[in-house]
Amino acid sequence: MMTCHDVSTLVSTAGLPDAPFLRKLGVHMHLAMCRHCRAFRRQVETIARAARAAGLAFERELPQDFESRIVQRLRPHGEGV
Amino acid sequence: MRIDSGPIPAIRHAEVSAARAADITGQRGASGRRLYDGGVVQLDDTYLGRLRRRDPEALRSVVDEQGRRLYRAARGMGYSQNEAEDLVQDVFVTFIESIDRFEGRAQVGTWLFGILHHKSQERRRTVVREEVHDPIDQVFESQFDARGSWIRPPTAPDQDVRAQEVGQAIQDCLAGLSPIQREVFQLRQVEELSAAEVCKICGHTITHIGVLFHRARMKLRDCLEGKGWGRSR
Repeated sequence: MMTCHDVSTLVSTAGLPDAPFLRKLGVHMHLAMCRHCRAFRRQVETIARAARAAGLAFERELPQDFESRIVQRLRPHGEGV
Repeated sequence: MRIDSGPIPAIRHAEVSAARAADITGQRGASGRRLYDGGVVQLDDTYLGRLRRRDPEALRSVVDEQGRRLYRAARGMGYSQNEAEDLVQDVFVTFIESIDRFEGRAQVGTWLFGILHHKSQERRRTVVREEVHDPIDQVFESQFDARGSWIRPPTAPDQDVRAQEVGQAIQDCLAGLSPIQREVFQLRQVEELSAAEVCKICGHTITHIGVLFHRARMKLRDCLEGKGWGRSR
């Protein structure tokens, strides 16, 4: 029987996809029964959504010609694009 | 997008779900399908030749696919807007200068993020190492009793907490992470690179990448809990 410590560690390290089948099954069974670990998983999911939202906010800072400026710099002798 | 002498064929769709692709890029190929390069898409010889010749359309294509991702990661790693823009330009310059060593077998996203990793270390003038122990490990362990059950059960954030609000809060909390935790968090969580890809980029084992990701998430969790998950209560 997996403990809350085992399950939350696997959730947090994102190690579940690579875990053996029986371990995955154990995690799913535990999550079905344990509301505390489900709450923990929701916390981790909220962090993920927040991090992606922060990433989008960073992208919005970029000027429209961001890519053009890079390409310009990569062209030999600063040729136009 | 197409180029004069044929499609940018360069891009092979491989092993990637359309849903994941749609999350990451807004690019669409000639077929109307989204082009994705989460480190999975590879460059073929023709495209590589065009890049070596600095064909403008080929350059534009790779910058369009990867530029904003690299900028997002650099900002997430703690660089200012100007520093991040400059860093991304440097990454592409090095990519083109070293393209003869790139044989197309490696994945272009992984290659570019690898350059970003090294450039970042150069700028910080230090090889970022992670301590064997981090205080967050003790904080996490202290939440369980000897039988591995929660002592202080976690409380799920409210359903109506908006990602954008927590997104603003998380930007402050990121400052509490070590540089390597921050980088691993960005690459795994925001860019959705696999643990194996991040291993290649940062040069750590898969197990250690998991530990770094866990520490980053638990530090953010601790910090966000302190902020009421982005809302004042």
